[in-house]
Amino acid sequence: MLSKSQARLFFVGGTIFFSVIFIALTVDTVRQMPALSNEDRMTEAVVRGKHLWDKSNCMGCHTILGEGGYYAPELTRVVERRGKEWIAIFLKDPAAMFPGERKMVKYPFDDAQRADLIEFLAWIGEIDTQGFPPDPDLALPVAAVAVRTDLAPPPPVFGTLCVACHAVGGKGGAVGPALDGVARRKTPEELDRWLADPAAVKPGTAMPKLPLDESTRAALVAWLSTLQ
Amino acid sequence: MKFQSQRIAYLFFATSLLLLPLQLVFGFIMGIAHMGWDGLHEWIPFNAARSTHLNLLVLWLLSGFMGAAYFIIPEEADRELWSPPLAIVQWASLVVVAVTALIGFQFGWWEGRKFLEIPRPLDYLVVANILLFLLNLVVTAWNAKRFTATGSVLLLGLTSAALLYLPGMITFENQVFDSYFRWWVVHLWVEGVWELIMGAMLAYLLIKLTGLDREVIEKWLYVIVGFTFLSGILGTGHHYYYIGTPGYWLWIGGIFGALEPLAFLGMALYALTMARRAGRDHPNRIALFWTVGCGVMSFVGAGFLGFAHTLPQVNLWTHGTIVTAMHGHMAFWGAYAMIVLGIITYTMPLMTGRKLYGGWVPELAFWTSNIGMIGMTGAFAVAGITQVYLERRMGMDFLQAQKAVQVHFGGVVLAASLLTFGIALFVWNFVQYGLPNVEAVGADEIGGAAETA
Repeated sequence: MLSKSQARLFFVGGTIFFSVIFIALTVDTVRQMPALSNEDRMTEAVVRGKHLWDKSNCMGCHTILGEGGYYAPELTRVVERRGKEWIAIFLKDPAAMFPGERKMVKYPFDDAQRADLIEFLAWIGEIDTQGFPPDPDLALPVAAVAVRTDLAPPPPVFGTLCVACHAVGGKGGAVGPALDGVARRKTPEELDRWLADPAAVKPGTAMPKLPLDESTRAALVAWLSTLQ
Repeated sequence: MKFQSQRIAYLFFATSLLLLPLQLVFGFIMGIAHMGWDGLHEWIPFNAARSTHLNLLVLWLLSGFMGAAYFIIPEEADRELWSPPLAIVQWASLVVVAVTALIGFQFGWWEGRKFLEIPRPLDYLVVANILLFLLNLVVTAWNAKRFTATGSVLLLGLTSAALLYLPGMITFENQVFDSYFRWWVVHLWVEGVWELIMGAMLAYLLIKLTGLDREVIEKWLYVIVGFTFLSGILGTGHHYYYIGTPGYWLWIGGIFGALEPLAFLGMALYALTMARRAGRDHPNRIALFWTVGCGVMSFVGAGFLGFAHTLPQVNLWTHGTIVTAMHGHMAFWGAYAMIVLGIITYTMPLMTGRKLYGGWVPELAFWTSNIGMIGMTGAFAVAGITQVYLERRMGMDFLQAQKAVQVHFGGVVLAASLLTFGIALFVWNFVQYGLPNVEAVGADEIGGAAETA
């Protein structure tokens, strides 16, 4: 039968053995991590962005690389998902972009800080994460949802900003109303006035005033007017 | 209680039981926010509530471990503590650091790294504090004529925990490095050296409560903590699947992570077998409840529920979801909360000389808090699994998926209310005991058996 000293030997020996292996693996991992994380592309902006990320305790609600709080979205691939432009606008006033939804703190970042944070997130998105986060494997096949294929392609701004809240042809967010057939309800002039300053048309609206220049707005209105 | 200086434990236990209810308050703030009512957002945003909740947990458990060590080490060394005044200074400094950190969190003074939110300047104070604590215990053990295996494992656990705090204080600019070494603290604490502390406390309680031969209990203690390190050290790899580390961690973390339940299964069998074999009928039956309950619930929460999502094939989908919160709640409760509540239940009659372990209050506290925690875990599980399917596997938008699971947070909050009721009863019972009493020194532990029998 096992004696107490043998049991102690098992504990001490096992601990030393596995600690040595762990340290050896750590040495190898530390050697490989710079390449896996593209450390050569870790610019000063990325580092400043990380400090801002830590200082604001973003991990208290969000996860990156799957680590953090489970109260707000996973941000590992957020730049790929939303685009830098959308994130920059969103960060200025998070609640305005998702009216009536779960709130995010409105941080007093300036433009440079927002850019740093986005650079950090873009760098995170490039890390070799062994396939995390995975693409949904049970998503309904595209043919099963009513996707309009007869539409002209939308202007780029629609894909980076509008879809976060609005859907067309069953694709997009559900915060604002779907925009299918919007041309039947609104004239181009009404759409233009609305996009220029939503609150002026309908005080108290949840729709934020987006920083769209004249030509972008015109392109958007022209495209929206085709949605019969 | 054999030695006067063991009474110092009371200060730490009282601190623990002040911090624990506060942890519950912040837990409710988060649970209710998850239900869709985030009315406190302006004053206590979720990230502040979360950091406070997590660090209160760490602080009250550490305070409980320290109290346990001040009680156990003098007895295992068979002499008074080296310096009781130093222990009181150490306690006071712990309280100062804790209060400063918790207030600081409310004003955004933190590091924003999960579980290690305490800002760097305070980290140095934490280190100084732990050094004072260890110094006192090590000198006590050093000057002793004998020192037991239980005492050695406890001291080894505490010392290693202190050393492993240091990798968390290194500054890394690369997020992947930061994350890699953050787990040296977090994982190697809770799935490594804290298990030594827990195992030693479990062994001590079993020796005291069952009257079984110390040699047998300590032999199995070595076997169990042997399994802890056999699986737990390389098991750190289950945090290194998807954070930018080499692919071999999927294998190493998967295999050794899957072995981790063995140590907890060992704890459960250990507590159950020893309690069954008990050669004496200790009057403090409720302390044995907590002791055996700790073994069983740590296996269910840390072992079984940890295993449920430790394999990389599963973790790919559950990583970073509420499933982790499901496992985390019962794991910390079973392994660490229950052992601290167990040692408090065991020591209070000895320190105060009052034998308030009979009656319905302590027993109801045990059952309601445990049933509450089981209910919470169930509700978290439903919310987490739903989130995994809707958001991760079907591609539903995050906020829409969160709305779908809001109702289950109603379940979390309801079950948490039962847990809170149990904890309130526990604290009430603790207060009833009053302060430690000099007359309790040297009193016979079993002496009260006749009264309650």
